[in-house]
This record gives sequence, structure tokens and C-alpha cells, in this order.
Amino acid sequence: MSNAWFWLLAAALCVSAVMVVRSRDLVRAVLWLALGLLLTAGLYAYLDAPFLAGVQVLTYVGGVATLMVFGVMVTRRHTSASAEASNDSNAVGVLAALGVFALLATAILKTDLPESSVPTQTTAELGRALLDTYLLAFEAVSLLLLAAIVGAVVIARRRDVETRETRGSATLPSIQVGRTEAE
Amino acid sequence: MNVVLTALVTSLAILVGVLTVTAWGIWFERKFSARLQSRLGPTMVGPVGLAQPLADLMKLLQKEDLVPEAADRAVFNLAPQIAALCALGAAAVVPFSAHIIGAQIDLGVLYLLAIGAVTVMPVFMAGWASNNKFALLGGMRALAQSLSYEVPLVLSAMVPVILAGSMDVSKIVEYQAAGSWIAIGPVWLGLPAFVLFLLAMLAESNRIPFDIPEAESELVAGITTEYSGMKFALFYLGEYVHTLVASAVASALFLGGWDGPFAPGLHWMVLKSLALFTFVYWVRWSLLRFRSDQLMKMCWYWLVPISVALLLGAGAWVVL
Repeated sequence: MSNAWFWLLAAALCVSAVMVVRSRDLVRAVLWLALGLLLTAGLYAYLDAPFLAGVQVLTYVGGVATLMVFGVMVTRRHTSASAEASNDSNAVGVLAALGVFALLATAILKTDLPESSVPTQTTAELGRALLDTYLLAFEAVSLLLLAAIVGAVVIARRRDVETRETRGSATLPSIQVGRTEAE
Repeated sequence: MNVVLTALVTSLAILVGVLTVTAWGIWFERKFSARLQSRLGPTMVGPVGLAQPLADLMKLLQKEDLVPEAADRAVFNLAPQIAALCALGAAAVVPFSAHIIGAQIDLGVLYLLAIGAVTVMPVFMAGWASNNKFALLGGMRALAQSLSYEVPLVLSAMVPVILAGSMDVSKIVEYQAAGSWIAIGPVWLGLPAFVLFLLAMLAESNRIPFDIPEAESELVAGITTEYSGMKFALFYLGEYVHTLVASAVASALFLGGWDGPFAPGLHWMVLKSLALFTFVYWVRWSLLRFRSDQLMKMCWYWLVPISVALLLGAGAWVVL
């Protein structure tokens, strides 16, 4: 009975994953991706990791998928309800997917996984482990994320300043040139 | 089997209860807003218009179901259903009394926040699939708003979690029943967190002064522009259910939930939730709408820093 849930989730996840890359429409692809991420959370919940499941939904469906949607909305011209997804490297994509699959499959098959189910860990234990045993790793990740945020701001800023400067320097001489020619 | 049966019956009772309260909550809002504007509100159907929700339902059921020619049909049809589902799903972990709760899970608060995060998707789906400029603009505004206000919402919801030392909504209520309500104890911490939560909640449920996504004077009706009949009803219902459930969550997290003297817990919970619900409509009919940039500025310049400070304060309070 409980295995049935796994197969149901896994099958649905596979379908949505395939639909992400097969969709002609960018928005539909993002929506399929959101469904896939939601189903992944379902798998986590099935594996007795409710905290991971909750965080998965909060960050991936609520954060990542929403940001993608935002990107589509802001960058596309809104002439119709569809935003075409261009995909002209099918062969490379299939090869890359198969390669990753082979790598992961061998890694999983070669690892000696415990037969018994993993002891369920409460959120309190999880928190203690993060801020105690793995404090260094935790802080390193925080620092990395901070660097990423600062980097994003710097990249966004610099391009803005540059375009303004180049525009200024490009327009000024051209006006002068135009005048001299006219004269 | 018995456990499953109990859970089913409880869930069904909560579902029916929430839907009923919502239906007459809409009637109440119409009456309330009418009184604020020196009008009478619904009076024709039933005594003091009490049967108005039923009449509205009949009307919406009979309306023609329109789908725009150029819309993305599948997404367009799915959006209102998901919207209503998300709004109702949040009610599952709200403890209406010590025993009336749909699902008692350890991570109730996390579940609520996760559901809140998913609520953005149907709004976007409706806005995009309608293939209408107003709907799209409304969708974009809603996305930006939800994305920004999620930060103070999550951070302020963490204050009761830290104080009570649990993510189980029932445990948080029990903690408040044993000590003092989080909104007043410690007051310098709880009250601002409560106000922040309420503001972020108003923003997430697109209520005035945060109803920019469906500002009728500029965007017709935002994402619901192209919707009619039952699909519109689902959006409409989802929005009210969301407000009601969010009021219930706020009263459980900050106002002691079912804790109160003299009367049974359920009465107190309903009373507190409805008081907050009324407050939301009071604000809605009294204040003006913000501008989009003012809204963003308020969130990122004020609410986010304050909520971070409150989070640190809560940590310090627990440790010291």
C-alpha cells in the first residue's frame, strides 16, 4: 500500500519532468516544473522528512518557480497567451540527460544503502545539527549566498552605470560631428 | 480505521464550517461596508438580506461560462480551482479548539507558509492565461507583492515559533494558554510581530490598502477580468476564505487561539477570528489604496528590517 504511493508520485514526477522539456510554451514549462517540484516535496514527505518537504515547497515552488514566472512576464513581449520556448539542441540535451542518469544510477547502485528505514529526525534535532555539528559548513553556505547577493547587485549596478556613461560619451561626439558636417 | 474516520469527520466539519462562515462573512462585509457609507446593503432577499449569499450562488451557477478566444484554456480553467484549493488547504492545520483540528502535524507553521507560497501560482496562471493586458498587469503586481511580503510574513511568523519552541500550531496555542498571549507577552516583541504579520497577511490576500493587483479604477478587475460564473465565484470565494483562514491563523499564533475564560475554546477561537476578519474589512472600507512603489518601499525599507530585528529580539528573549 505504502509502495503504491511511491510509484504514483514517481510516475507523476517523471511525466511532469518530461513535460518541462517537451513543452512548446515557456509558461507551461514553468508550470510543469512547479508541479514537478511539488511532487518532489511529496516524495520527501513520503520518506518521513516533513521539514525538507515544507522547505522544498516554500523555496522552490514559492521562490524559484515564482521568480522564473516573473522573468517570463517581464522579459517577453505580451502579444499572446503563449511564450514560445526555443529548443534546437535536442540531441545534446538527450546525451547530457543520459550521461547524468548513468552517473547517478551507478553512484546509487554502488553505494551500500541501509536496508532499514532512516530514523526520523525532529526539526529540533535538525536545527541543533545545523548550528552545532555542521556550523562551519552552515556559515560557509551563508557566506556564499551573501556573496551571490552582493555579486548580483554589483552586476546589475555596473551595467546600469556603464550604459549611462557610454551613452553619454557616444552621443556627445556624434552631436558635435553632426554639427561640423552641417556647418 | 477509527482514526481515519475521526479525521474525515473533523475535516468535513471544518470545511463546511469555514465555507458557511465565509458565505455569511461576505454578507456581513456588504452590510458593514454599507453602514460605513450610510447605505443599507442587501435588504431584499430574506430578513435583512440574510439569504443574499444563497441568491448570489444561484446567480453565479446560472451564468454563462466564458473563456476568451485567445486564452490558454487548460491553464485558464485550472487557475481558480487551485486558488480555492490553496485557500481551503490552509485551514487543515488551524486548531479551532483543543480537539477540533483537521490535521495535527509537528510542522503546522511551515505547512501554512508553504501553502501561502503556492497561492501565488494560480494568481499568475490566471493573469497570464487570460491573455488580457489588465489581467497580466494585475498578475505581475500580485506576484511582485506576494514575493516581497512573503519575507516579513515568514519572519514575523517565526517570532511565536521561537517563543513557544515549536512549529506545531496547537503547541503554540497551548504555550499561550499556559503563559500569556504572544501579542502581549513580552509586549515590545509580540505586538510589533502581530502587527507585521497582519500587514503582510493583508498584502498576501490582496486587501485594501494592498489591493493594487485588482485596483478596479485602473485595472478593471485585475486577474479576474476575464472570469465569469463559477470560475469567478471560486476566485472570489478563495479570497474570502483566505482572509478568514489567515485571521484564524493570526489569532492562533498571536492572540492565544482557543484560550479564554468562561466559554468553550471553539467560541473564543471563532470570536477572535471574526474580530480580526471584521478588522480587515474595517481597514478595507476606511483606507485608500497605496501606489505600487509605495507598497514595495514600505515592505523593503520598513517591514523587512523590523521583522529581522524582531527575530533577533525573540532569540535574545528566549536565551536570556
